[in-house]
Amino acid sequence: MGFQFDVAFFAYEIGIGIKYIPIVLLLSIVPLIVGLLFGTGIAIVRLFKVRVLAKVFTVIVVFLRGVPLLLQLTILYLTVTLSFDSLAQTVGLKITSKDISYTLVAVVGLSINATVYLSEVVRTALQSVNSGQYEAAYSVGMTSGQMLKRIVIPQAMPVAIPLIGSNFIGLIKGSSIASLISVVELINGTLFEANGNYKFLEAYLASAIIYWALCIIVERIVASLEIRVGVYGKGGVV
Amino acid sequence: MENIFLFGLFVDSFPKLLSRLHITLYIVAVALLFGMLLGTYIAVVRLHKVPILSQLAIAYVSFVRGIPILVLLYIVYIGLPLVVGWFGVNINRWDTMIFVMIAYIINTSAFLSEIIRSAVAGVELGQTEAAYSVGMTRWQAFYRIIAPQAIQIAMPALGNTIVSLLKDTSLAYTLGVIDLVGVIKAISSNTYRSLEAYAAAAIIFFVLSSLLEQGFKWIENKLGVTKKITIIGR
Repeated sequence: MGFQFDVAFFAYEIGIGIKYIPIVLLLSIVPLIVGLLFGTGIAIVRLFKVRVLAKVFTVIVVFLRGVPLLLQLTILYLTVTLSFDSLAQTVGLKITSKDISYTLVAVVGLSINATVYLSEVVRTALQSVNSGQYEAAYSVGMTSGQMLKRIVIPQAMPVAIPLIGSNFIGLIKGSSIASLISVVELINGTLFEANGNYKFLEAYLASAIIYWALCIIVERIVASLEIRVGVYGKGGVV
Repeated sequence: MENIFLFGLFVDSFPKLLSRLHITLYIVAVALLFGMLLGTYIAVVRLHKVPILSQLAIAYVSFVRGIPILVLLYIVYIGLPLVVGWFGVNINRWDTMIFVMIAYIINTSAFLSEIIRSAVAGVELGQTEAAYSVGMTRWQAFYRIIAPQAIQIAMPALGNTIVSLLKDTSLAYTLGVIDLVGVIKAISSNTYRSLEAYAAAAIIFFVLSSLLEQGFKWIENKLGVTKKITIIGR
């Protein structure tokens, strides 16, 4: 038996996979946006050491950072499916756990995961700005908002952008784990086509190529953004 | 409302999970050791810009870093026997564990090669020139001047990679390896519940990665990494 690789089917699977790109993006862009919003909130709370809240967020962030995404998603999925029916009954909803969209569960799970990591990114970026800069901004009479907008954020961006980029790539790749809680995304979509002929290698390679392409595109975008925000950096011309 | 979380079961799953912990740690150790060797080799190829090999290395690193480990696991598991079979070798009977380890070695080597490459490239050229100018040989210059500084640069990223390698091993169960996560299936087929076992696994992973992080912090302090970064940062 020689090396069997069905190029035609592989090409067909790439075509199928391209149709699933929107779902991959849904599973990664929504968590990215949610994560940036909530992550910034958590980072600010932790930076300004807001009483009690800062401690609570620190515990949550430190704990979730240590738990694999697979376990986070599975635990969320199991909790939702186990508790949904009784919860819906008590609230009087006419839907059962069979009606829940697993995609939604995955989006929520990935968003929680993204929030944790992006809060660390934002915190690192804000901390990278020298405290003298904050003091100088206050000393010339800027309000906190002005200080953030004119002084801190322009300096924090060059640190944040590459980190956000690598986190986004992590989210794109992490969305593959949603396939394990029966979300029909890129992997399950291409595998479904291969169920009839057992050409699973072609299916997996097709998803690999699409993931790779997505990652390269994101890398390019991040690189061009880095140049743009870099003008405020130390070596800039402005 | 039925109980969704049985605390007793949660406590009981710890010994069962911990009895398979060595498999998880074994995968991490093997992936790290061989990934480091392969990664160093790739980094050297790229740093010296070896023709053809260097381009291949770039494509390899980009591809492996661009695909999820879940996909890589299956590509190795299904693809490797096909490719090797082409050369007339039959590895279909190999233990699944070997395929899992190969996949994690490939994954780790790609990430480590980037860390090693950027760390070595991050040491100023003037340092090498200074070493040569005082009469050091190439090897002496690398061993005494470049490597100690490169290790300082690489340390934080290396720590992160090892922690994420540990967390990534949670996917090895998809190929049927009975490690820390794989054993949950066995537990749930006895008890018809799995949430408790998954929660216990989450705790174990958290403790392990915290220990690793603390260990790396300690090493970084020993190597004076944090000190150096603050100096650069000012």
